[in-house]
Amino acid sequence: MTNTWGIPGTTFLAYYIGTMAAIVVLAAIHRRILFRGPRDVHVDNLNPQQVAYLSGGERLAVYAAMGGLRTAGTIGTGPGGTLVETGPLPPGATALDNALDNAARRGVRARELHDDFMVVSALDQIRDGLERLGLTVSPAQRREARIWGFVAGAVTLIGAARLVIGVANDKPVGYLFVCLVVSVVITIALLRVKRRATNSAVRALRTLRRSHDHLKPSQSPAYATYGVAGSAMGVALFGSASLYAIDPAFAAEAEVTRVAAYGYGDGGATAGATGSASGCSTGSCGGGGGCGGGGCGG
Amino acid sequence: MNARPTVGAAATGMPSATAAEASPNTAARPPGHAGQPGGGPGSLATRQAGLVEALTSRNPVPDGFDAFRFEAARVALLRKRAGEVSRQWPMLAAGLGDGWHTMFAEWAATRPTQGSLRDGWDLARDLLARDALPRLAALELAEREAAMRYDGASSPKPRRTPALRFVAGAVVLQVAGRVRHLRS
Amino acid sequence: MAEAVANAVSGYGVGIGWRPEIAGFVAGLPGLRFTEVVAESVHADGDLPAGLAALLDRGVTVVPHGVRLSLGGADPVEPARVRQLAAAAERLHAPLVSEHIAFVRAAGIEAGHLLPLPRSWEAVDAMVANVKRVQAELPVPIALEPIAALFDWPDDELDEARFITEILDRTGAGLLLDIANVYANARNRGTDPLTLLDSLPLDRVAYVHVAGGAEHGGLYHDTHTSPVPQPVLDLVTELCARHRPPALLLERDGDYPPARALTAELDAIAAAAGSPRVTA
Repeated sequence: MTNTWGIPGTTFLAYYIGTMAAIVVLAAIHRRILFRGPRDVHVDNLNPQQVAYLSGGERLAVYAAMGGLRTAGTIGTGPGGTLVETGPLPPGATALDNALDNAARRGVRARELHDDFMVVSALDQIRDGLERLGLTVSPAQRREARIWGFVAGAVTLIGAARLVIGVANDKPVGYLFVCLVVSVVITIALLRVKRRATNSAVRALRTLRRSHDHLKPSQSPAYATYGVAGSAMGVALFGSASLYAIDPAFAAEAEVTRVAAYGYGDGGATAGATGSASGCSTGSCGGGGGCGGGGCGG
Repeated sequence: MNARPTVGAAATGMPSATAAEASPNTAARPPGHAGQPGGGPGSLATRQAGLVEALTSRNPVPDGFDAFRFEAARVALLRKRAGEVSRQWPMLAAGLGDGWHTMFAEWAATRPTQGSLRDGWDLARDLLARDALPRLAALELAEREAAMRYDGASSPKPRRTPALRFVAGAVVLQVAGRVRHLRS
Repeated sequence: MAEAVANAVSGYGVGIGWRPEIAGFVAGLPGLRFTEVVAESVHADGDLPAGLAALLDRGVTVVPHGVRLSLGGADPVEPARVRQLAAAAERLHAPLVSEHIAFVRAAGIEAGHLLPLPRSWEAVDAMVANVKRVQAELPVPIALEPIAALFDWPDDELDEARFITEILDRTGAGLLLDIANVYANARNRGTDPLTLLDSLPLDRVAYVHVAGGAEHGGLYHDTHTSPVPQPVLDLVTELCARHRPPALLLERDGDYPPARALTAELDAIAAAAGSPRVTA
């Protein structure tokens, strides 16, 4: 009984696994360098919509603008999930704000905003600006990162060929089959490069999130107090749950994808963790107490 | 106005530190003052219990109280509770819209508070049982049910195990404390 | 001891009650030297409410303000609540704590709010006994706040000033004077708020609460959800003319307005009290 290609099964498996492992390691190192981004990046000067784009892409940038405009009273919802204009634009409105306001005047459905021509062009502007600042990974860099996916694919094909020959020759192929499944998964993972922010930008965002923890939806932030920029920044840093906190009915009617804010894994909003304004009023203690609000203030 | 003597200072008439030592101030106290010790019918404990019970139920106003003002306090209390629950359950309150305050006041009038988390939870479950839970509120209830275990009688506890919850069309999955909407 | 309480936050000017909803606004006040946090939201272990630690690091004094001890209840105060208050004071390195002259539960039922005590000797005894139980456990002095009440008990034996003074005298506690409550009670009872101011031991004032309210159905409600009305600011001025309190604190508990409105309120309080602005 001869070995396929003159190589014993265990030897082939060892080389195969070793090669795949090397590809994964090299891809990781390559990406680390590729996505590193400039050493010193500043996100403090970005507007909330830019921050939103950086942390959650086009969809979140639109949501951030919606959050700001809702707090400003500029937009609301009409029948069938359409946007309507309910007031003037706030001072310092961005191109995206203008695009949303314009769409609201035309009664565009909120879920179709991302395809609206004015919105698309405003989003392009945001993306280009972030790229110039070195905060985002360019399409060319994403293509470059994908190379390792093709390499892993090629190795997987060699494995597949041996599997086919082995099966034809009635050789045992159980271990090889398991390795193949794993390498298919690795190949797909390496081909899907969805990275948006550079590593330094990701770190800067993390710092920004910490310094804005008063905007976490679990704090029930007073969006009226924080204003248009604060509301938009809340959405930018803490996701669409903030839009539901700003105006639940608006967010629901605009068919905003809800990402629940109640996870407690990230110090989120479960009861008892954060006392509400008057009295703790949550799970850890019964009812009662609290100053003000009622007939007999304290 | 400023010429008026400050009665506090005059009555105390000594450094506050020594005033504290001089307690109880029996001199000005009428001998055999009213109020029975323990839980007698006219005792402080009994009267306080009667007051709280009247305030948190539809019981009649206790004897001697100004009915108009007592009623105003009852209404103010319910309004304050509604505000606290809506902070804890924003989507429940938003789902009920303009009817929220009336609906809550009606529901809470005979239920003393168990804390705003539990109050909102109990109300949401009641509405669900009556098929009257708004869609928005169903989302919120589903999230809470998936994230925490609540037996209806004691404080809700975070779930340690994954959970899948269906509430009035909303489907929510919780794994390791993270809550995902599968359908909303 | 009462003098120690009265001096615990002296010279702190104007502050604002810390609430999670406006934590970012409070953190952004450049001249802030003191704030207050609901004591029940500060736990002995676990994280401090987000943002409070940064204020403490900045040297801002944070006073735990209890709302659920039910010191005026006929029953002895629950030991666990006292321990929690003491732990909060220690965690915050607070120079004092505060609570209310009120009760919030009876016979196991939570009222959901601060309720007035009958102004009787029996109530004084119950209140004093509970304050002493708390004082025995506390590492710092306590200040007591008289509340605003929409109704009074039918058979009061003492007038308000006497009732408050009696409790302060017998416990050595400081006075947390809520000037908005003084206004609300006087307005609802049809009395002169200055008469009460003139009969209270103002030298015992540890700090002062200032808040807004609104009228519903002929009664003034101390809601903490509306702007501070001018008559309350005028009372601040009257108070300062009689005895300058060590500190004043704005309480806002809901319907939070835009930041510039809150800033204007803090400035108005500072102007009424003749103290420096904390907003710039």
